[in-house]
Amino acid sequence: MNTLTVLASGASGASEDVFTPPGLELFDYPPLIAGVSWFTKPVLLALLSTLIVVIFCWSAFAKPKLVPRGVQNVGEMGYMFVRDQVARPFLGKDADRWMGLLLSIFFMVWIWNLMGVIPIIQFPVASHIAFPIVLAISIYVLKIYLGIKHQGPIGYFKNMMFPPGLPKPIYVLLAPIEFLSNLIIAPFTHAVRLFANMFAGHIILAFFSLVGFWFVFEHLTPLGVGLGVVGVVMTIAMTAFEMFIQFLQAFLFAMLAAMYIGNSLHADH
Amino acid sequence: MSDGKLRPEDDGRDFASAAWSIPSYLLAGMILYGGAGMLLSRWTGVVAFTPIGLILGVALAVYLVYRKYGS
Repeated sequence: MNTLTVLASGASGASEDVFTPPGLELFDYPPLIAGVSWFTKPVLLALLSTLIVVIFCWSAFAKPKLVPRGVQNVGEMGYMFVRDQVARPFLGKDADRWMGLLLSIFFMVWIWNLMGVIPIIQFPVASHIAFPIVLAISIYVLKIYLGIKHQGPIGYFKNMMFPPGLPKPIYVLLAPIEFLSNLIIAPFTHAVRLFANMFAGHIILAFFSLVGFWFVFEHLTPLGVGLGVVGVVMTIAMTAFEMFIQFLQAFLFAMLAAMYIGNSLHADH
Repeated sequence: MSDGKLRPEDDGRDFASAAWSIPSYLLAGMILYGGAGMLLSRWTGVVAFTPIGLILGVALAVYLVYRKYGS
């Protein structure tokens, strides 16, 4: 609860009695070690998430048993999900070769997102746009590399910008759309979709918990208590909803990565 | 697909790639031709070029999506 107290007292600012909704200050963190300006809470959480994913995969897959038990069971459930829902629909027979990457991305993003609802930690790493951008750029570079490798430097751009079966003159108008859509908008939305969902979700959770905390604990009045109860109930409901969104966004991020890789391996139809 | 076999997942793949590509195409069309229209408006002073460009962009993007993913 101490984060909320700090939040409530920080947000109220100069005028003590006015409820002020949380804003962008939710995302500002001072350096954890004085002088090391890049080492903030989100960075620490990102490193922690990496460690969690590595340890999880190590303990699940390092010494596989024929009859899975314990962590291996959970790991194989995750693997099956990523393989059947993310990799195979887009990569077909190449799915197994890309499972390492896709499984890592899925677990990594999911753990990043889950950090947003774990008590005390309560910060979704992806709500700082730098983190999803790094992942999206990695996938983007990989996509172009694979496209050029498998379809040739000219063939890749030709297949991308000139989809077959259109009347010739219209290509002049449509090729720029294809180019912009595939090479600029797609990687941009890939990163922004994850960032915006986590950013908005964090604000929503902070807002409702602050409403509950302010009207029930800080400023208990007969008129305000109903609102406070609504805030508490909404915090619980939104936390559940947010956990669903966190899973969904991790799934989508990995799915789009698989889609981009698949489109680079084989030209569209 | 290059392997020539039809898998049951192929339908899902087409649907998903259409569903996730359409917004990018629409955005790209609007930005490209809306932007061109805006530049033309600035250059000539005729305000109408901006909305014309936007609508042309959306129309072209819809046409592209229709030809690419429509059966």
